[in-house]
Amino acid sequence: MMDMNKILLIDDEEDSLDGLSLSLKNEGYDVISASSGKEGLDAFEREAPSIVLTDLNMPGMDGIAVLKRVKNRNPDTEVIVITGHGDMDSAIDALRYGASDFITKPVREEALHLALQRAREKLIIRERFRAYTADLENMCHIAIGEVKRKSDFQDKLITSSNDGVVATDEDGRIIIFNPEAEAIFGIPRINVVRKLDFRQLFPSQIADLFSQMFGSGRGMRDVGWRDVMIPRKGGDDVPTRFSGTLLFDGEDIIGSVGFFQDLREIKRLEKELVKSERLAAIGQTVARLAHYIKNILAGLKGGTYVVNIGLDKNDTDKLRTGWQMVERNVGRISYLVTDLLAYSKEREPEYRKCLPNDIAEDVCELLDRMAMENRIKVERGFDPSIKEVSMDPDMVHSTLLNLVSNAVDACIFDLDEKKRHTVRVGTQLEDDNVIRFTVNDNGCGMSEGTRNKIFSAFFSTKGGKGTGLGLLVVQKLVQEQNGSIEILSELGEGSTFIVRLPYGKVE
Amino acid sequence: MSKRVLTVDDDPDIIMFVKTVLEENGYIPLIAMNGETGLSIARDEGPDLIILDVLMPKQSGIRMYRELKGDDALKDIPVIILSGIARRTFLRSQEALTEFGDQPVPEPEVYMEKPVEPAELAEVIADLIDRS
Repeated sequence: MMDMNKILLIDDEEDSLDGLSLSLKNEGYDVISASSGKEGLDAFEREAPSIVLTDLNMPGMDGIAVLKRVKNRNPDTEVIVITGHGDMDSAIDALRYGASDFITKPVREEALHLALQRAREKLIIRERFRAYTADLENMCHIAIGEVKRKSDFQDKLITSSNDGVVATDEDGRIIIFNPEAEAIFGIPRINVVRKLDFRQLFPSQIADLFSQMFGSGRGMRDVGWRDVMIPRKGGDDVPTRFSGTLLFDGEDIIGSVGFFQDLREIKRLEKELVKSERLAAIGQTVARLAHYIKNILAGLKGGTYVVNIGLDKNDTDKLRTGWQMVERNVGRISYLVTDLLAYSKEREPEYRKCLPNDIAEDVCELLDRMAMENRIKVERGFDPSIKEVSMDPDMVHSTLLNLVSNAVDACIFDLDEKKRHTVRVGTQLEDDNVIRFTVNDNGCGMSEGTRNKIFSAFFSTKGGKGTGLGLLVVQKLVQEQNGSIEILSELGEGSTFIVRLPYGKVE
Repeated sequence: MSKRVLTVDDDPDIIMFVKTVLEENGYIPLIAMNGETGLSIARDEGPDLIILDVLMPKQSGIRMYRELKGDDALKDIPVIILSGIARRTFLRSQEALTEFGDQPVPEPEVYMEKPVEPAELAEVIADLIDRS
């Protein structure tokens, strides 16, 4: 802050100088007096007053010369000149050279007071203006710093992004190509930025979409995530996920940006997962098989033991019972082997003339006894309009046998003893040469978790009593017959399996 | 007087096997094909030993075991679990039921995994019956 109380007073007339000095001091100013222009300038250099009051008419260096030198040294100094009475020309001269005001001799107190007040006001305004400007500059500096920081941050963000980022200007020329993009495309940035157009870089699949987007004005603004292969010269193509968007400033397209996610690592992990899942499935398969075989072995062991007792004691009853046990378990092994073979071997259907309702009836009869022992009713609902058709009867039989015995098991395993358990087996002629087989039960039903796993190898909810192959075999058989399978099930309510199989007409 | 042994299993082969082992060793076999029947025979007859399969339809083996061990009149009858599943799987299923709020039950006196040798089974039976 400058000292606005300091006034340099220059006048060659002794009386005038003293008189003015006195009256200024009375007003509270800090007055420096000089009796010539030369002396005044020296004092100005030394004291740096903010207001100079100088007589114009002085011998040697006159007031105009002092004014010019002072203004030259410090243009902010307020210079008030004192002119002789009626000397308007000098006063105008002085104003032209930058004097802020003039007063005439003899100097009247009020005029002096007013001139000084104006000078001080000007000084204050100028001071405020300077502070304001400094503030403004400071703020401007801070703002620029912030903008730069943000831009640096965005730069770093783009540079260190895990996505390949490729941005273009409004003409499609590439202006940003980050390190990850370099890694995906296998081209150094320097060969791309401002050298290539997206049409030259992107695979045609997305280059075409981008061209459309640029051409559509505001119609199409972005390209959603999709899988894109990036061809690489002399290397494997790179699988990526891509999405892109146009950049707008208001209504104008100012460029575009595309994001590429490198999927190589993910694909590699997926492959590994598939492999490890297969290994796990094999391990599970072996464990399940071993378990199932262990059960059969228990039966066989029991059988041979009873046979041996029968032999030792010559007891025909024991011999017969033991032998039945052995036979039953031999039967179980052959079922297992049949299931395993059916599951693992490809088999083309062998079409023959057959009656689908008879096949369904045969399956029901096979399971009737077991159902009855467990107080389960097997109901038939066969469509009488189904006549002789051409199908693979063995495949139809295996399919239905698996489904109906599952339905019976679902009732046996049901914890709800108040239910009257029923298995319904139905056939229905559908359009397009298709027969619909429906197997419905009101047994234990399936949870969603179970429902999702029923077609996995060796999945079984029957403990050691199921091979975990039945539904897999069904699925495979249905596929081989070009049919379809549909499952409706609710935990505690029961399940319905609907199998649709196409048939050939019989002449 | 001959000791009576109840065997509960839904697999007729196992029933026949165990029954023969029992007869050969001088015990009187009692037979049930499921847990419900098994429990009512146990209550009516008060056998000296129970041989129980845990993996039967409707969880009846697991349930029957809990009923036996939770019943003051029955809980002192020794039990042999004869099962196709591993011992730790059986114990885990019992723990799970306990976590669901049932009373905890003691572990079975003997746990045997199928298939079991007739001589081994006979030995274990004799052991438990003599002990009681």
